[in-house]
Amino acid sequence: MSKEKEGGQENDNENQGDQNNSKTWNLVREKLSEYISGDAFSRWFKNAELVNPGQQDGLVAVQSDMHQIWIETNYMDELRAAFAEGAGIHCSPQIVVKGDADADLLPETVVGKIPIQQESQKIAVRGARANNSVKVVIPDLEEKTQAFQRKLKRLGINPDFDFESFVVGDNSQFAHAACSAVAHQEGRSFNPLFIHGRAGLGKTHLMSAVAQQLLANDPKAKVVFLTAEHFANEFIEAVRKGNLDTFRKAYRHVDAMLIDDIQFIAGKERTQDEFFHTFNALLNSQTQVILTCDCPAPEIQTLEPRLISRFESGLTVELQPPGFETRVAILRRKMEQWKVELENNIVVHIANQIKSNVRRLEGALTRVASYSFLSPENMSIEKVDELLGDLVRDENTHLVTIEQIQKAVADYYNLNLSDMSSRRRPASIAFPRQIAMYLARKLTKLSLVDIGDGFGKRDHGTVIHACKKVKSDIESDPEVRGAVEKLNASLERRN
Amino acid sequence: MKFRIAKEAFLDGLQQVQHVVSSRTTLPILSNVLIEASDEGLRLTTTDLDVGVSGTAQAEVSKAGATTLPVKRLVNIIRELPSAEIEVSVDGKNVASIKSGPSFFKIIGLPDGEFPPLAGFSEAKEYKIPQAIFRNALKKTSYAISTDETRYVLNGIFSSFKEGKLTLVATDGRRLAMVDHELEFPSSHETDFIIPSKAVQELQRLLGTEGDMILKLSDNQVCFEIGSSIIVSKLIEGNYPNYRQVIPGDSKERLTLSREQLLETTRRVSLLSSEKSNSVKLTFGPNQVDVMANSPDIGEANESLDVKYEGKEFSIAFNPEFLMAPLKSLEEDEVHLDLIDEMSPGVLRTEDAFLYVLMPMRVTS
Repeated sequence: MSKEKEGGQENDNENQGDQNNSKTWNLVREKLSEYISGDAFSRWFKNAELVNPGQQDGLVAVQSDMHQIWIETNYMDELRAAFAEGAGIHCSPQIVVKGDADADLLPETVVGKIPIQQESQKIAVRGARANNSVKVVIPDLEEKTQAFQRKLKRLGINPDFDFESFVVGDNSQFAHAACSAVAHQEGRSFNPLFIHGRAGLGKTHLMSAVAQQLLANDPKAKVVFLTAEHFANEFIEAVRKGNLDTFRKAYRHVDAMLIDDIQFIAGKERTQDEFFHTFNALLNSQTQVILTCDCPAPEIQTLEPRLISRFESGLTVELQPPGFETRVAILRRKMEQWKVELENNIVVHIANQIKSNVRRLEGALTRVASYSFLSPENMSIEKVDELLGDLVRDENTHLVTIEQIQKAVADYYNLNLSDMSSRRRPASIAFPRQIAMYLARKLTKLSLVDIGDGFGKRDHGTVIHACKKVKSDIESDPEVRGAVEKLNASLERRN
Repeated sequence: MKFRIAKEAFLDGLQQVQHVVSSRTTLPILSNVLIEASDEGLRLTTTDLDVGVSGTAQAEVSKAGATTLPVKRLVNIIRELPSAEIEVSVDGKNVASIKSGPSFFKIIGLPDGEFPPLAGFSEAKEYKIPQAIFRNALKKTSYAISTDETRYVLNGIFSSFKEGKLTLVATDGRRLAMVDHELEFPSSHETDFIIPSKAVQELQRLLGTEGDMILKLSDNQVCFEIGSSIIVSKLIEGNYPNYRQVIPGDSKERLTLSREQLLETTRRVSLLSSEKSNSVKLTFGPNQVDVMANSPDIGEANESLDVKYEGKEFSIAFNPEFLMAPLKSLEEDEVHLDLIDEMSPGVLRTEDAFLYVLMPMRVTS
């Protein structure tokens, strides 16, 4: 009996595995047919297959629920003996139903849905029997089975977000490498993995890719993938219903915990507390934890210091906006995926217009490609500009304003916003004011006069002097340098 | 609320509905029976949120109203009352005063407004089924329902209305019972659903041999109207596994036996089976079958039956309870036993559309 084709499996090891698998199964079947008579053997085992060799022995996939029920009730002894006598494998055979498991909840993979009620538990246990017989070992975009895709969707993971579809550039190389290592479980020391970056740069994509790879490696892995918001909501529900035990069980006894937008728990004391304990429990049991955030850990406002330090205790990687070549590469990738064709100069133009956000870049491509598809006229640069008008405006309105700079500096130095524009001269106020002016010069396109105006109608000369002074201080004083860098980064990030 | 009622009538009515109430309830009101008094008499309703039963009792109602009273305690009281006539009055605070002859009881109830209403069936499919037929069909299948709670889909009877037939199936993985009956219903009403085991029990208690039962089916609930009594139950959600897969193909041997004789013989012989050795062995020889049981520490039993058999000698063992259950539920004189070999399930059939697949046990020599 030949095993189902696993579609272009190129890897030699895979083929060898398949062959071994077939051989083993044939031996088992032969022995089994000695124990179980003709009609019964053919009735129940004709289309049964051995799955997931190397990962688990004795996992047999059968064609229907009834097969599973009847075999489990009547033929397990014979099956066990057939494995032992026929193939020399000592195992506890498990029967699964081919294809999709009908269970809504699988105890192995929880996705912010906690099996609280009895009903759900019944279904969940049944799901344990009707375990996913996921046949895919390496997820390839086209090769992913329907079952795997459905499983991902159930877990809240977008099947399109995998390693294959992530375009790596200088901006994301380190983050990508770290995630890849974690996904292939080579980076035991990267725990927790803290990924930060502004919106639309690929945090969720990378984390989803890791989740997919972990699941493909081990379909029975308990991979939790959810947003911090969801975690918080579930926690509140659990407290309300008095189900904390169940909640804790669901989130602490897992193989990997992937949380998106962890900045959400800022300001939520109880959730932070619960998360702290969960986090500790996971790290202590060496469970992989991955977090994404829209800013570096120390910049999360109102986050307990003990959480900040824990977030930073593993590996922190940043996703930055992609450079020109990467943007073009991303556009080309998408065009390939969508089977869309556009002239090179158009692609380059789009890449030049949208720089800060991959999501926006894709949106731009969608617009241009759709128009090009639907319209008889040739696409032109002018048309692109017309189509992308508002997107480009969004790109540019995110220039820093003087007020933002003043606010950031005032916060940093514990001053009032009004101090920035006031006449007060003590160094504790004047120096920060100078830093603010320096940053204004650096980060905005405003003229010296405009900047001066923004700081309480000061003379443009004052601004020049401030910039020179701060510049030289940066070079001589590491403290100043650090402060300015920090402020600079956080201002750029905020946009 | 105020009414007079005969002790018998009250007791009957209460006993009709009390079995649905479980001894460990999550809500206090679920231990109570809803009593609604009107010109037409009393309506008594109980529920456990999955199954609800509602019945009637004749009474002289002088003041209409409704309340709920703890059913177990109420039944115990009514049963013990000395006189045949009972007078009940309930005040605005749901305190019931029960007078009968010299006895006086007062019990505290809960407001009727808190009682969970039984589901409505306005947009339901309706079927009319003679009570005798349904009762019979349940009898022939209910013993095979699985009690394994992890296989919740099997914790009920699969019922299908298809092509002019009503089919009921029950299985627990070791045996499967199936019965068909011809029935008239519109083809738009073809469907299937799973009746939970608890509802089946209530049905078997209430169904009679005369008249019709009305079955109403909504998306996730079923209602059985039997006379003035109503059983409402949630359906078991999920897909019933493909039961046809279980039915073996052509048999090698078909033996026709007297049902009663096989039942009696098995019953007698199984007296000598034990927990450790829980099987009876049937050995088929020329025109006879030996039914044997053997327990090492206890002893053995052996009885032979006449049967027309010309094949070669062979033995097959079955769980005696599983073998007797269908035999007890049938009324036919003769049953056919279709066998393949000692490792394959046997199939018990009758002339009617009944079928029972039973897995053998390992033959211990």
